[in-house]
Amino acid sequence: MPGMSMKLVLRDAGIGIALLLLIVFFSLSTEHFLTPNNISNILTQITINLILAIGMTFVILIGGIDLSVGSMLAFCAVVAGTVLTIPDFSVFQAVGLATLAALGTGVACGFLNGWISAFWGLPSFIVTLGMLNIARGAALQVTDARTIYSFPPSFNAFGSQMVFGVPVVFLIALALVAVAWFVLSKTVFGRLLYGIGNNEEAVRLAGHSLMFYKVAAFTIAGALVGIAAMVYMARLNIASPIIGIGFELNAIAAVIIGGTSLSGGRGTVIGTLLGACIIGVLANGLILFGLSDFMRQMITGVVIILAVIIDKYRERITAA
Amino acid sequence: MTHPDSGALHQAAAAEATRVPILDLHDVRKRFGGTVALNGVTLSVAPGEVHGLIGENGAGKSTLIKILCGIVKPDSGAIRLSGEAYEPQAPRDAKARGLQVVHQEFNLLPFLSVAENIFIEHLPRNLFGVVKRKDMNVGARSALDAIGLKDIDVSWPVERLGIAHRQLVEVARALMTDSRVLILDEPTATLTSRETDRLFTIINDLRSRGVSVIFVSHHLDEIFRICDRVTVLRNGETVFSRPIGETSHDQLVRAMVGQQLQKEMASEAISSAGKETVLSLVNFRHAQSPHVDGISLDLHKGEILGIAGLVGSGRTELLRAIFAAEQPLSGTRLRNGKPAPFRSPREAIQAGIGFMTEDRKEEGLIMTMPIAANVTLASLSSVSRVGLIDSKLENAMTEQLGADLKLKYGGPSRHAATLSGGNQQKVVLAKWLARNPQVLLLDEPTRGVDVGAKAEIYALIRRLAEKGLALLVVSSELPELMTLCDRIMVMSQHRIVGELARADFSEEKILTYAYQGERRHAGH
Repeated sequence: MPGMSMKLVLRDAGIGIALLLLIVFFSLSTEHFLTPNNISNILTQITINLILAIGMTFVILIGGIDLSVGSMLAFCAVVAGTVLTIPDFSVFQAVGLATLAALGTGVACGFLNGWISAFWGLPSFIVTLGMLNIARGAALQVTDARTIYSFPPSFNAFGSQMVFGVPVVFLIALALVAVAWFVLSKTVFGRLLYGIGNNEEAVRLAGHSLMFYKVAAFTIAGALVGIAAMVYMARLNIASPIIGIGFELNAIAAVIIGGTSLSGGRGTVIGTLLGACIIGVLANGLILFGLSDFMRQMITGVVIILAVIIDKYRERITAA
Repeated sequence: MTHPDSGALHQAAAAEATRVPILDLHDVRKRFGGTVALNGVTLSVAPGEVHGLIGENGAGKSTLIKILCGIVKPDSGAIRLSGEAYEPQAPRDAKARGLQVVHQEFNLLPFLSVAENIFIEHLPRNLFGVVKRKDMNVGARSALDAIGLKDIDVSWPVERLGIAHRQLVEVARALMTDSRVLILDEPTATLTSRETDRLFTIINDLRSRGVSVIFVSHHLDEIFRICDRVTVLRNGETVFSRPIGETSHDQLVRAMVGQQLQKEMASEAISSAGKETVLSLVNFRHAQSPHVDGISLDLHKGEILGIAGLVGSGRTELLRAIFAAEQPLSGTRLRNGKPAPFRSPREAIQAGIGFMTEDRKEEGLIMTMPIAANVTLASLSSVSRVGLIDSKLENAMTEQLGADLKLKYGGPSRHAATLSGGNQQKVVLAKWLARNPQVLLLDEPTRGVDVGAKAEIYALIRRLAEKGLALLVVSSELPELMTLCDRIMVMSQHRIVGELARADFSEEKILTYAYQGERRHAGH
C-alpha cells in the first residue's frame, strides 16, 4: 500500500528492535540461549503459533476475532489423523489425503464462522466462541475421546527435518508469512480487508461486497488452522481431541504484540511474525534464565498489555 | 506583531475599555509541535453580547475554543474572565467559572435517554443514590420546552433523534447550568432554517438575560442576523474585529479568504441541462416513506437538480434508496429510460451512478488510509491487473484527479485525515469521478467546508454539469442550492411538495413549500 508502508515499516522496526534487545539480553545473561540447538528449538516451538497467528491477522484486520482456532486445530488433527491411519493407503496417498482433510475441515469451520457472523451481522467474538465448543465437541465425538497415533514414520521424520539447522516446518511458516504479506500489501483483496477494518460503510458504498471479504478472512484463518494441524501431527506424532486448548489466545497475543490494532484496519503480518518470535524467545529465554513456567506466563501477560499501551501511545502521536 | 488591521484593533480596544468585558483575551498563542495554531489572538466579549467568531477551517477557531474550555493550555497570552485571570486546567474549571461550550462534535450518549443526557452532569438522586427518574424527566421536559422542542419525548434514547435534534438537545444541556459565557461551535451546521430560527430565539433570550454568547459559524448571513460584534481569525491571528453595524458581508469574506476566491462564488451559472433523461423515479418509495405514491422525478443530462427540505423530510433517505444503499420499498427506478432494479450499491455504481454521502468521516472516507487508496476505492479494477494493485498507476490517477480538482495535499500516500474538510470532500468527489459516472448524487456537498473551498467545489460541480454529468444535490443551505441548481424540488414529509425553475428561485418560496407540507402533516 503506498505510503502506508513507510509508517508500517517504522512500526515493525520498533517491534523488531524489541525482539533484538530480548535476544541480546538472553544471549548475555544465559549460557545456552544462542546455541544452534536452542535456536532451532525456539523456531520449532514458534511454528504452530505463527501459522495460527497469520490467519488471525486476517481476521483481526477486518475488525473480527477468532476464538475457535485452538479447538479447530484439534478437530482438523483428529480428522486428518483418522485419514492418515487408514492402512490401505500408501504413505504418499495417506499424507496427501490427510492434508486435504485437514484443510477441508479448517476451511469448512472458518467459512461457517465468517458466513454466520457476516450474514446475521453477529459479533465474531460470539460466533467463534460457539465454534470453539462445537469443534472441540466434534473432535471428542469423532474419536470417542481417544488419541490417534502411530503415523507413518516418514511423516513423523518430516516434522523434525532440518535445513542448515532450521526446522523445515518453520520454513513452511515463513513461506506462509511471505504469501500473506504479498496478499495483504499488494492485492486488491488485501487493500479491501484493510478498508473494511477501517471503515466498512465506506467500502460498501464504494460498491464492494462486505460479505465476500469477511467470509474470506475467516476461511483463510480456517485453512491455516488446517495446515497448523498437519504440522502439529508431524512434529508430535499424535492427533488428540484435547490438543490446542488456549492456542487461540497465544495467536491473538502474537498478532497484538506485532502491532495489529484489535479494532481492525492497522497492522502487518511481518509484525505478527515478530510478535510470535517475541513470545517464543520470552518463553524459552525466561526458562533458561531460571524462571519458572508460571513466572514466564506472567511476564508474557505483561508484554501483551505493554504492547497495547505502546500501540495506543503511537496512535495518539500519529493522530496529532 | 504588526498587521494591516492593528490600527483598527487598537481603536476598538480603546472603545471597549469603557465597558468592562466579561471575557478578554490578549495575544494568546499556541503551537502544536511545528505547527502554529494560534499566533496572537485578541478578543474581547462584553456582557450580554453575541459575538460572532468566523474564519476559514484551520484559522484557529477550534484551538481557541479548546483553550477556553480547558482542554488545551495556551503557550502565552493573557485571558481574563469577569475581570479575573482565567487559566482553566480542565473542562471542569471552565464550567465552575461559568463558561459553557456546545461542541461541534456531539457529546451525547446515544443509548441513554434524552433526559439522562440533559442531566448527565448532575443526575437528581435520593438518599440511596438512586436516580429520581420523575424529577429528571420533568426537568428535562421543561428544558426542552424552553427551547421549543415540544415534539421530543424525554424518555427516547438519543439515538432515535436526528442530527439536528441532537444538536438542540446539546444546547438544552448547556443551558441547564447558569453560565455567563456560552460558546456555540458551529451550532447551525446541522440545522435547517426552522431549527436555526429556534436557536436564534434562544440566543436572543440569553442576551436579554445578560449572558454573553460566542457564536461560531460558517454562515455570514447568520452572523449578521444574530451578532452584535464579529471577530475574524485568519492563520491563527485576529485580523478584524468590529461591531456588526460597521461591517459588510464582502468585508468579512475579504478578511477571511483574500480576494481572488470571491469571484468564483459570484460568477453567474449558465444552465447546461439537456433534454435527455438519465434518471427517473416513478412512485419511488424509500424504506421510511409513509406515502404510497412515493416520489417521482426526472433528472436530465447536464442538469443540477436540487432537493430542498427540512431535516427529516426524507432527502437523505431518498438518495440512499436511489443508490440502493438501502433497498426501496416500492416504485421504479429508470436509468436512461430502462428499469434499473439495483440490489446493491455495486449495481448502482456499475450503472454509472456515484454517491457523495452526507457524512464523509463515517461513510465517505477511510481516514486512516492514504489519499490514493481513497481515490481509487471505487475503481480498483482500473488500477489493478489480476487482482494486483499497480501503485504507479494508482498514484498517477490520484495526481491527475488531484490536479483536476485543485486538491491541496501532501502527496498520494498521506492519510486522508491529514486534509482539511474541503480537501477531504474533494477526495470523495475524486473517488467518484475516477469512474466517470453519468449521475452523481450529492448529499450536503459543502458541510463543514470553509468559504474558500466552498467556492471551489461550486465551480467544480458546475464544470461537471457542463460536461454532461447529471447531479442531484441535497442541501440544507438554501443559498447553496440557489447558486448551484437549474431546478429545485422541495421535499416535506417524504414527498415532493413543490418545484421551482431557476427564474423563480427565492428563499421565501422554498420555505413556504417546505413548511406547507409540515403544517399539512401536523393537521393529521
